[in-house]
Amino acid sequence: MKSIIIGQYIPGKGLFYRLDPRTKIIAVLLIMISVFLLETIEQLLIGLATAIVLLLIGKISILKVIKGLKPIMILLIFTFIFQIILNREGEAIVSQQMYFTVYTLLFLILAFIVWRLIAKLIRYRFTLFFLFAAGVFLILSYVDFGANIANPFTFNIYRAGLEMSFFVVVRLLIIITLSTVLTLTTKPTDLTQGLEKLMHPMKKIGFDSESFALIISISLRYIPTIFDEANKIMLAQASRGADFSEGKLKDKLRQVISLLVPMFIIAFMRSEELANAMESRNFVPGEKRTRINELYFSHGDIIATIFSFLILALAIVLKVI
Amino acid sequence: MGIRFNEVSYGYSSFAQGLYTAIKDINLEITEKNEFIALVGHTGSGKSTLAKHMNALIFPTSGTLEIFGHTITNKRNKKIKYNDIRKKVGLVFQFPEYQLFEETVEKDIMFGPMNFQITKEEAKKLAKQSLKLVGLDDSYLSRNPYNLSGGEKKRVSIAGILAMDPDILVLDEPTSGLDPAGKRILMDLFKNINETTGKTIIIITHDMDLVYQYFNRVLVMNDGHLMFDGKTEALFQKEDVTDYHLDYPNTIKVLKYLNQELNLNMNVFQKTTAEALAEIKRAVKL
Repeated sequence: MKSIIIGQYIPGKGLFYRLDPRTKIIAVLLIMISVFLLETIEQLLIGLATAIVLLLIGKISILKVIKGLKPIMILLIFTFIFQIILNREGEAIVSQQMYFTVYTLLFLILAFIVWRLIAKLIRYRFTLFFLFAAGVFLILSYVDFGANIANPFTFNIYRAGLEMSFFVVVRLLIIITLSTVLTLTTKPTDLTQGLEKLMHPMKKIGFDSESFALIISISLRYIPTIFDEANKIMLAQASRGADFSEGKLKDKLRQVISLLVPMFIIAFMRSEELANAMESRNFVPGEKRTRINELYFSHGDIIATIFSFLILALAIVLKVI
Repeated sequence: MGIRFNEVSYGYSSFAQGLYTAIKDINLEITEKNEFIALVGHTGSGKSTLAKHMNALIFPTSGTLEIFGHTITNKRNKKIKYNDIRKKVGLVFQFPEYQLFEETVEKDIMFGPMNFQITKEEAKKLAKQSLKLVGLDDSYLSRNPYNLSGGEKKRVSIAGILAMDPDILVLDEPTSGLDPAGKRILMDLFKNINETTGKTIIIITHDMDLVYQYFNRVLVMNDGHLMFDGKTEALFQKEDVTDYHLDYPNTIKVLKYLNQELNLNMNVFQKTTAEALAEIKRAVKL
């Protein structure tokens, strides 16, 4: 859980830390829109290069961002696979006859067992999974003897499918990198304050941006707290014999309740305490509040805004041409 | 053989600050019979981390731990049934809110024993017995644990662990948040359990008066190190406990002050108020 970098703020110094949160939110939005406007792979690769250059400028360790992408990996892989399988346009690049026979089944089970056994011994889970997938592909294509269970079918990969899947994955990568830069370099409180200020004009149509920002900042603030509490409850119940890594499924279902009930009770207790603490410091909902840190724009903000507008303009020009 | 720590260290890792070592190179032995041990130390000295090791809730970062013959290392061993260890060593957490969840006190106490394949009737009997042990009568069995007072909740959570019939009982600040009379009642109760059943009991506490009065063995933690392990009398007579960010018991403090101000020569090491009073009377009469 601790390795998830998305949404984490890491204290540091650098160009992006000094920017106004409003600038950063707008810039990320503009660049994201530009990314969606791009149409060819070449343009997108330039976009990815730009994102990496931004990381370098901001002195953000690329390794850290890649590490943080790990949980998203599964999502990326799934999009990739689905695009490849479901998109049937253009010419076929790979066309492979597939068979499903009695022996295929046998080999599949064997491959699965070997995979699970090795997975227990060594740690490269992703690599192993890919090897297993490749193995399944090979078995399906070359084990053509024995009685057929299902009719032979052809497995095709089309050019458009391959291009589209690559396209989608790179686009997702850019967007995730950009939003990671935003959350990595901006304190959650600054972020919500920036959002609040940006949405302030919407008050005219009845949208209360201040309450909205407060809701967001309180929820963000309490994620680690609640997580911590959950951990403690888990330990307390484990010492009453409810260990989740042991025992039968039926027992586990019962034990889930033993976690959920205290979780809710403690969340309610916390919120009540917070409400009391806020009220005793004279917090009145909807009243105008002053801030310790007022936001202000600097030269860097102006440059960053101009830069992101330029990127958007470029993307629009490319789209029109 | 109960619990043995061999060079145990434990570090918490966090994203922002890196590794924080909570306990360092702990060597410690606790037998499973007839011990009554106080674990003291200032806030953040690693007491609770040490306690969590005792029933294998967390695994040492380095070093090994032997609990009733099972060797605990830094990795989860599939051959060891950790639930068995938790049945033998019961750990009661500081806040009862973390463990109470059922709609009646009886069901909640039964949760522990039922996790160890005990029949419902048996568990019901155990619930009744352990509730009596912590000094609550049968009328509490059908009550909702969330409608009880702080002290009652605490007793119910202790009963929940007692019902599992552990050989060693570890309690994390069982007396915090209780009034002085309640503290004493609870301490008498633990002492009584210790004497009648012979179970080893380890109690984390900040109350030096209780430590001095009730315990014969005391463990002192300071900044993750085990600084002292021995007789309670020896701790207060031979060591300067202020070095460990601890305080002296009130009886010692008062008698020391009187000795100093009135130039008396009393024996300051008196455990209870009554004994201290007797000593003062003796000194004043002479």
